[in-house]
Amino acid sequence: MILDEAEALLDPVSDIDGFMLACLVDASTGMVLASRKDQDDISLPTAAAGAADIANVLSLLAGQLPVDGLEDVMVTFRRQLYMIRLVREDPEPPILLLVILDRSRVNLAMARREIRNFCASFAA
Amino acid sequence: MSQNPRFTRARQLTSTVLPGRRPDDYPDQVTGRLRKLAAARGTGTLPFSGGSDGVVYFRDGKVAYAESNRTPGPAPRAYPEPAQDLPPLSRITAILAITEPTVDAALELLSAQSRYARFRPSKVPATGPASDISVEALLAEVARRQRVLKQLSAVLTADTALARNPQIHPESIRVSALQWSLLIRVRHGTTPRDLAWNLSRGVFGTTVEVHRLLVRRLLSVAGDPPGAVGRAGASAAAMSFVRAVSVEKGEAVPNFNAEVAPGGAG
Repeated sequence: MILDEAEALLDPVSDIDGFMLACLVDASTGMVLASRKDQDDISLPTAAAGAADIANVLSLLAGQLPVDGLEDVMVTFRRQLYMIRLVREDPEPPILLLVILDRSRVNLAMARREIRNFCASFAA
Repeated sequence: MSQNPRFTRARQLTSTVLPGRRPDDYPDQVTGRLRKLAAARGTGTLPFSGGSDGVVYFRDGKVAYAESNRTPGPAPRAYPEPAQDLPPLSRITAILAITEPTVDAALELLSAQSRYARFRPSKVPATGPASDISVEALLAEVARRQRVLKQLSAVLTADTALARNPQIHPESIRVSALQWSLLIRVRHGTTPRDLAWNLSRGVFGTTVEVHRLLVRRLLSVAGDPPGAVGRAGASAAAMSFVRAVSVEKGEAVPNFNAEVAPGGAG
């Protein structure tokens, strides 16, 4: 993590039920900008790198198909939910928010709404 | 009598390896020096010369800023107002406008194995809202970027000459604003480093973005057939940030982040 002081900016996301980890990633370089996590068994660099790779693959897809810009991605594992949302695409740099949630404790609709609201307030 | 100016001769001397020191000791030497300065909470400058000339500025043991003569510095508009007055995302962007060139310069200085000179206690130049980076975080990020560049090196480096694919019809291209600004600046022989300087962007980020354009066959390496993704074949064209933070069997891990376990906290 590069920007220590940015960690506090992620406080609102850590209040979501089932919260496990959140981080901001520069999608163009894969650099982790800030992070918060409640559990030590998740590798932050790997999770963040995976989010950047997924966003890059989807941007390749968007280059070939008539779709507009990426908004968010949800990856469902048996016990966890990975939500990746593009906080801002333009102007540069594109910044991603990755939130990992515990599926047994999360209300999916509420979590998605809270993440969307967070990104909106974050960019305002 | 030598015709070399005194400065050039001094640079040649500093770029040689001192007796008793092997070139492959470099990561240990430089990380040891940086960690010592961090532990001593030093404030001042650590000049580098040799493969790439530059300076790392320390403030209270953390890296406040770094510059290299082979990477562009911050864009002129980098920090227009105090960060505290900005909304969160703009604050991060303002900090990143200083942090990214710093990491980019450190990557260049350490990758070129530039020799460091004596640390000089001094005032650090004002860098606006920049967030000082811990030495460990910087070394981990440099090591990660080196592994990404190693993946790309089969296809391109920051100094690979490029060519635009002449068979592409502009009206059919769907690219981001950044990719478009790169595409329109490519002439035959332009390198990713040229583009980075042209746009005042980081060399690393520009090289990664150019690789994406190579994969999409909008650019090619100069001399290759249009649309080819390097001479090394499709498997070498794959770039993965996940692989860059994972240790693969038989892969040598750079020593720059020796204290950060691969896959551990960054």
